[in-house]
Amino acid sequence: MHLFLQTLGFGLVTASIIAVASMGFTIQFGLTNVLNLSFGSIMTVGAFIGYLIEQAGVNAWWGLLFGGLGGAVLTLLLGRTVFKLYARRGTRLFEMVMVTLGLALVIEYIVDAISRAQLYSVSFPQGASVNIGPIILTVSQIIVIGIGIAIFLGLEGLLRHTRLGKALRAMALDPSLARSCGIPTGRIVNATWLLSGFLCGAAGVVYVINALSVTFSTGLDFLPTVLAAAILGGVGSPRGAALASLAMGLVTAFVAAAGGSAYSTVAAFGILVVVLLSKPSGLSTVAARRVELTL
Amino acid sequence: MGSAFSYYFATLVVYFGVDLLSAWSLNLQYGYAGVINFAFIVFQAAGAYIAAATVMGPDTAPGAFQTYIFGANLPFPLPLVLATLAGAVLSAVIGPFALRRLRRDYQAAVMLIVSLILLQVVSADIHLFNGANGLSGVPRPLFSSLGLSLNAWQWLFAVFVLAICVVVYFLVEWLCRSSWGRSLRAMRDQEDAAAALGIKGTLLRIEVFIIGGAIAGLSGGLLVEFISAWSPGAWGYPETFVVFTALLVGGVGNNRGAIIGTLIVPILVLELPTFLPAFGYPGLVDAFQWILIGLLWMIFLYVRPRGILPEPRYIAPDRDGGTATGGPLGTLKRLVTHGRGDLRPEIEPQAQPGRGPVGVQVARRVALDHGGDAGTGR
Repeated sequence: MHLFLQTLGFGLVTASIIAVASMGFTIQFGLTNVLNLSFGSIMTVGAFIGYLIEQAGVNAWWGLLFGGLGGAVLTLLLGRTVFKLYARRGTRLFEMVMVTLGLALVIEYIVDAISRAQLYSVSFPQGASVNIGPIILTVSQIIVIGIGIAIFLGLEGLLRHTRLGKALRAMALDPSLARSCGIPTGRIVNATWLLSGFLCGAAGVVYVINALSVTFSTGLDFLPTVLAAAILGGVGSPRGAALASLAMGLVTAFVAAAGGSAYSTVAAFGILVVVLLSKPSGLSTVAARRVELTL
Repeated sequence: MGSAFSYYFATLVVYFGVDLLSAWSLNLQYGYAGVINFAFIVFQAAGAYIAAATVMGPDTAPGAFQTYIFGANLPFPLPLVLATLAGAVLSAVIGPFALRRLRRDYQAAVMLIVSLILLQVVSADIHLFNGANGLSGVPRPLFSSLGLSLNAWQWLFAVFVLAICVVVYFLVEWLCRSSWGRSLRAMRDQEDAAAALGIKGTLLRIEVFIIGGAIAGLSGGLLVEFISAWSPGAWGYPETFVVFTALLVGGVGNNRGAIIGTLIVPILVLELPTFLPAFGYPGLVDAFQWILIGLLWMIFLYVRPRGILPEPRYIAPDRDGGTATGGPLGTLKRLVTHGRGDLRPEIEPQAQPGRGPVGVQVARRVALDHGGDAGTGR
């Protein structure tokens, strides 16, 4: 029982990291319909900003803020320039996936060139061990869980109770109808780039706070997990992404605890496989016919 | 022209042949059927591992220091056949699951995930193919029995690889021009319309996935017999990009374009910098190579999404003495094609003086195509 609860604690930590990233991904994908594979590379950029801030001796909270802001600005820039350019050129939905993958490669190896392909250790203070009942976690792990929960609640509040959130949901459902209702779609798309980019960059920093090291491939290695959680949770639903992240985090932790640490990530993907095999309605081609890029 | 140069050049020829097979395999899948196989390299790896394990002998033999499955001592051409089969079998396992009724962008994402899962499993589990260290010391086929010098053997093998390339080229060209290939293109361009003609999209995608997987497995088998080692480091997901970039640069849906793309991307971009003086820290040149590949990829998607040599228009003789693109596919295309290959539901303005209204022309050609052509046969 003790081991079970302890594993649950670790699972929550992993789940929080996945959740922050996959909620950002799912908002972006749900609204713009760009399956953005460069998301992981932007996460790496956020992680490196967090690392640099930590090196400068500034409080880790600033790292989180600036990592997030870096991700937001970069995502907005790419969204306004690269993605828009290709969309105007007539690039279709699935060719856009290829564009984002090329972009992912370029960003990743620019970071590689600048970072000299080294692995950098980060020494965020882990804080004392805290006993919550039988679960022992470090302060930083509790903070990671807290960040995950806070971002989830904040996002839910934003989407349900603010004008921006309502406009965002309306647009994700039907862009042209939203436009005829007077929603400034261009500005909402920009807001989406900023919001999802912020979550992406912040997820990079949160990842580093927990993993304590960063290298140029950090984000892209993490991307499949994020993708899996976003697809599993149903595209465009932060709530679904959070739930899926929880499931994947817990499965990862429990498989690792059962002695299969090599297979822990694989097991998490196993959930996705099961879901894909059981024919989710939202993923069918029939639903895809109506989907267009919204940029 | 020292022996070092001869050695290097033979290696380049073999790499070229292997990359060419990869490009054709991917062209069949992506160029003709629109399947974005981001897990391509996995099928090459499957072929390589099988070809390696089946010549290295059982891993329980005295002196064996590596652990692997399928250990055997098979004579020369058999491991290559098994490698081809391995690629096909793995495709037959993954295909039906990944190519189901999923959106194409999801399919791409699922493929990428599959690629990473398998890489993780093979790296982590030492019992499969010696884990992260991989297999080394794979015997060169016929090297000892022929009694040639290493250099002569390398050239012989290079010629062998090129000969296989020629055979595979004619095979894929034949496949692409057959009624099966026409169905592929019809499905790729207009799945609904193709389905209305009785073309089963999912089944076709799985078929092309398996054929492509077989070619990929063969290419992996050839590569491992030449370089005599194979490890997870050789099949990271960026390797798939290289083949994709070659295809995008050379020509999507054009097997001759794939040759040009293979010359430019894996050979020029990845091999030529070996001749450049080293600068910066070790690995900087690699980073620049990958950036260059990413940029090439993006620029070609923007400027020439169909590559240097785009897909040929398939022209079949018309009974009127004119020309018309053949088969129901051609009719389909004429009905829906507008401008530079963008598919929009508009009728191409074809009415010319003296040839009757558009509708009559189209109707006549529909009749012609169905009477004069065997159709897609599906």
